[in-house]
Amino acid sequence: MDDILLHVRGLSKHFGGIKAVDEVTCAIKNRSIISMIGPNGAGKSTFINVVSGIYSPDVGRVYFQGEEITGVRAHEIAAKGIGRTFQLEELFGSLSVLENVMVGCHTRSRSDVLACGFSLPSARSEERRVRDEAMECLKEVGLEQRAHDSISRLPLGERKLVGVARALGMKPRLLMLDEPAGGRAAHEVERLVRLIYTLRDRGITLFIVEHNMPFVMSLSERVIVLDEGRKIAEGTPDEVRASEEVIKAYLGEEV
Amino acid sequence: MTLLSQIIQYAISGITSGSIYAVIGICWSLVYLITKVLNFTTGEFVMLGGMLTWGFRGAGFGLIPSVLFAISITILISMILERIAIRPVRFPSEMTYMMITIAAASVIKGVVLLGWGSETRTIPAFFGTEVIHLFGATMTSQILCVLGLLVIVTLGLSLFLNRTLFGKALRASAINVTGASLVGIDISRFRFFCFGLAGGLGAITGIVITPITFTGYEVGMLTGLKGLVAAIVGGWTMTGTMVAALMLGLLEGFGAGFISAGLKDVFSLLVMILFLIVRTMDFALWRGSVMR
Amino acid sequence: MNGTPRQKLLWLILITVIVAIPFVTGSYVVGVMCFVAIFGGLALGMGLLLEQAGMFSLAHPTWFGLGGYVSGILAVRGIAPPWLGSIFGAVFVGLISYIIGAPLLRLKGYYLACATFGLLLIVEVALGQLGPLTGGNEGLMGIPPLSFGTFALETDVHYYYLSWVLCLGCLRFLYNLMDSRMGRAIKSFNDSEVAARSMGINVPRYKLKVFILTAVMASMIGSVYTFYLRFMQPSIFGFPLLVELVTMIIIGGGKTLYGPLLGAFVVMWLREAIHLTLGGLLPRMSAQVDALFFGIIIIVILIFMPGGLSGWIDGFLYFGRKVFGRTDG
Repeated sequence: MDDILLHVRGLSKHFGGIKAVDEVTCAIKNRSIISMIGPNGAGKSTFINVVSGIYSPDVGRVYFQGEEITGVRAHEIAAKGIGRTFQLEELFGSLSVLENVMVGCHTRSRSDVLACGFSLPSARSEERRVRDEAMECLKEVGLEQRAHDSISRLPLGERKLVGVARALGMKPRLLMLDEPAGGRAAHEVERLVRLIYTLRDRGITLFIVEHNMPFVMSLSERVIVLDEGRKIAEGTPDEVRASEEVIKAYLGEEV
Repeated sequence: MTLLSQIIQYAISGITSGSIYAVIGICWSLVYLITKVLNFTTGEFVMLGGMLTWGFRGAGFGLIPSVLFAISITILISMILERIAIRPVRFPSEMTYMMITIAAASVIKGVVLLGWGSETRTIPAFFGTEVIHLFGATMTSQILCVLGLLVIVTLGLSLFLNRTLFGKALRASAINVTGASLVGIDISRFRFFCFGLAGGLGAITGIVITPITFTGYEVGMLTGLKGLVAAIVGGWTMTGTMVAALMLGLLEGFGAGFISAGLKDVFSLLVMILFLIVRTMDFALWRGSVMR
Repeated sequence: MNGTPRQKLLWLILITVIVAIPFVTGSYVVGVMCFVAIFGGLALGMGLLLEQAGMFSLAHPTWFGLGGYVSGILAVRGIAPPWLGSIFGAVFVGLISYIIGAPLLRLKGYYLACATFGLLLIVEVALGQLGPLTGGNEGLMGIPPLSFGTFALETDVHYYYLSWVLCLGCLRFLYNLMDSRMGRAIKSFNDSEVAARSMGINVPRYKLKVFILTAVMASMIGSVYTFYLRFMQPSIFGFPLLVELVTMIIIGGGKTLYGPLLGAFVVMWLREAIHLTLGGLLPRMSAQVDALFFGIIIIVILIFMPGGLSGWIDGFLYFGRKVFGRTDG
């Protein structure tokens, strides 16, 4: 039986006079691959930011696994099992690749200031476990040989993969990827596609915001189209491709 | 003293300090808006104005030459500061500039201390010592001079910034540095100028206030800080700073009079802290969100 | 980083040297080195706050002073013996930093610096005004020495060892902390607060924890200082101390944890050198005049060597490793 993992109802978010997200409603089924597309400035990144708790919505509600998470703060939402990546990677420059992923595992350990400062046995064993878990995540994206490198030496494609590994660290149920294929060569995109299928098969639901059309259309089960904050179409890739509104939004008034 | 005359007395002293804080606040804003530098030597310029004047008078110069020398030297020091301590910074960040100007303030204070010792000094009131009575409160004509200074400075700056080409260019670069340099404006020249201007204004302020509140190597820091409070609370605009400064001065005046003179300085600092905190709260409540 | 044989060797050498110093040098050196431990310990905490955590709090000297005053007052009045008073001081400071920290730490960058600077001055003035309680601007006098049971710490050497135990203990604690989950969390929110929050890190809460931790450390160091000097005065922990701490952090370099301690060593001995050579020439020496020299040093270092001494050392070591082929690329 398909269950709804994420349910967004009437979500709106404005900044000043601009409605970045305007009454968007959608439901994302468990273990599916959903994409969100739209012209630049359509509100896709804002949508992710609201769902992941960086912003709280002005209007509307968000439900995750049946539980309402509207307005819940980002770090709590992460603990509930929603992971994400960033369009601009937002990796931690003062940490190595492995350490970045270990931060992703933050919610899976509990050692506090005193335990860490006094290097208590509990803290140390947790540290070993987290390190192993992080290595697993790196292996998942195929970057385990880069574990001890510093972020600055990685090319763009690998940096994006580190972002994915980091999000995987929290063992998310829902993984939201913000432009994961941006600016990457064909073979890297292929690697990414294989990775996404692997993750889906392991039970993770994927929500992908992307510009790269072939990538989106070949991969997704369903596509949501945003324009100027509003949802203008939703359906299978074929349905969306044929939709008049979508064509208008991307190409202007007359085709 | 009757309550009314007390109130008026404290109000007078409050408005006087308020005017000083206003001009100092404007010095902070000028430099900060154009150069993004929080210049902690602003207070020291005020101190230097008074101390240098006293020093020159002590050396036998007349009042006018002393004043002119004091102002010029302060402007010079300010410009030198910009050249050797601000310009060469390789990784400019607000915090680096802040630490540099705090360090420079230390240096200036130390030199003054070494040169002239730690006692407070004063210069005779040059606007006469007539005492004016107002409902039982007293004030000297020197105080009127202080108020007059404020008016002249703000009017002059207004005219300069709004009517002259140079002033307009300054305002433009405050709003958009990249755009300004694209049209050929030399930012570092402006920075140089702004430092000098802030130095000069600070020195004048110091000179005018010295007959009333005396001067000494310690004076700069607290006075300068209160000017900063006025600028922050006033949102770095000229009118905002003036209003904030006058209110701050009045708060201090009444606080010192009715509550405790020793805690006078604490009031303005508390105001700054409370204001800064409340500012963030407003933000969070309005937006209903916390952005990066 | 902690466990490598080279690190362990360095710690061993450091501890040996510290232990040995009173036996091979006289009380003058011991006295100066005692101050190195005390102010170095302070600088360590402030350096962590400023550089690792990116929190520009200038209130560190305040915690130092408050800790000292609380334990000093309790001891002078006979309410609590020094060691207990120190604990009360730490609790007091912990509480205050908790209450003040929550709203204050929401401020960004220079606004936090201004607000904490204001706090520094307010407390300094307020303590001077509370004459009956604190001894006013002249200071609190007649403070008894630290004692444990019947053993009283009276000599410089006693306090030397105590201060170094405290200082190195703090350093060790901070190294452990930064090498762990907490340390990663701190470095991560310093690099990208958005990403850190999205990874489950409650940034405001962690900032508060670091703030309180360093405040409590400063408070305990302040208590030791008070019982060493047997005297406490508001001017001790005002602006000149702030300039001194900042100088230590800048000279030593904040990017590493040990930098500020190295900076403390340099600053203390530099001060001695200045006093010895120029003391005769200049009419007066005082904290304010020291601040003059420190100010010049700060400006020079920030312009020419922004990473400080430890930054230079680390860069040198890295370069050395590269040259000898022990690091990739």
